Amino acid sequence: MRGFETDLLALLPRLRRFALSLSRDAADADDLCQASLERALKARAQWRPGTRLDSWMYRIMRNIWIDEGRARTRRAKVLAPEEAGEQAGYAGDAAIEAQVAMGDVARAMASLPDEQREAVALVLVEGLAYKEAAEVLDVPMGTLTSRLVRGRQALMRELGEAA
Amino acid sequence: MTIDPEMLMAYADGELDDLAAKRVERAIEADPALAEQVRQHRLLTARVAASYARVAAAPVPGHLADMLRSNVVPLPTRERRRHWATGLAMAASLAIGLVVGRGLLPASDSGFDPRISGELAQALDTQLASVQPAGAAARVGLSFRARDGRYCRSYEQAEAAGIACREDDGWTQRHWIAVPRQDTQYRQAGANGIAAAAQAMMAGEPLDAAGERAAREAGWRAE
Repeated sequence: MRGFETDLLALLPRLRRFALSLSRDAADADDLCQASLERALKARAQWRPGTRLDSWMYRIMRNIWIDEGRARTRRAKVLAPEEAGEQAGYAGDAAIEAQVAMGDVARAMASLPDEQREAVALVLVEGLAYKEAAEVLDVPMGTLTSRLVRGRQALMRELGEAA
Repeated sequence: MTIDPEMLMAYADGELDDLAAKRVERAIEADPALAEQVRQHRLLTARVAASYARVAAAPVPGHLADMLRSNVVPLPTRERRRHWATGLAMAASLAIGLVVGRGLLPASDSGFDPRISGELAQALDTQLASVQPAGAAARVGLSFRARDGRYCRSYEQAEAAGIACREDDGWTQRHWIAVPRQDTQYRQAGANGIAAAAQAMMAGEPLDAAGERAAREAGWRAE
């Protein structure tokens, strides 16, 4: 049973990354990570060994974000996109500095609608296959690819030729 | 034939089967604009992935890592205590999610001193489960004889719980769990873990009040 915690520990950097993709805010991302780990530790009996722990965790995290993130999402929408971009720098730890350094890409990602951003995050950032990403998001493949292609087109427009 | 944007993207991502990929390749040969779009897709993937790679490379905050670091701390065991490993595993599986503060973890098994001294040792020496003074340093739970004949007692403190056994030179930790004070759910899991570990160590039944008193009179000596 020890292996479960060890595997989660190894996944933690990637979980933080996905949390940041979802929440667009470093402090919210770590809160989301904590809530996801709590839920995973309580629900560990539901994880079937031999299946992908990363996909399982992404799914848990995304569900929590949807369940509990509404208030924060509303708050985020009140801010202009450039303010939201600035806000990412407020707490000054290493992860946040990394996010500031991400600059254009983070801003472009933050401007995407949630549905497109999570599809892009799972495939481009987390490296999931389309099928795995569709399972995490609980949508048909066609829905996944349509969100993904729209998200990418928006990013290309936003990032220009440099993309 | 026309290649729709989804299909071109899937080709760029290596998501198409051989047959479909061949069709896209033929279309690309006939239309340089399609080739450029594939290139753009791959550039975008590389750029986005590289940006977010920095997040994954950043140090993980200690409070998140601590949620996953060992819950039940296995204490150093001697060869003859091997059969307790089952109890440890049970305790580990039951005491799900117990958080051990980094400062409390032994630096390494070999560097950890399992001998108990001070208030806890005194409580283990003198306190009876049936008579627990208010404000005592520890609350004693079960007292029992382990399979090697030694007396062992489970105990609970404000922030920790464990099982100690009486060696010739004093009380020695056999199991130890950090128990966050406020979290009743974790406390219960910790209590369950310790109870399971005790069950696995025990020869026969736990001591009753009279047995506990007699053991105390004998100074908890194995004899």
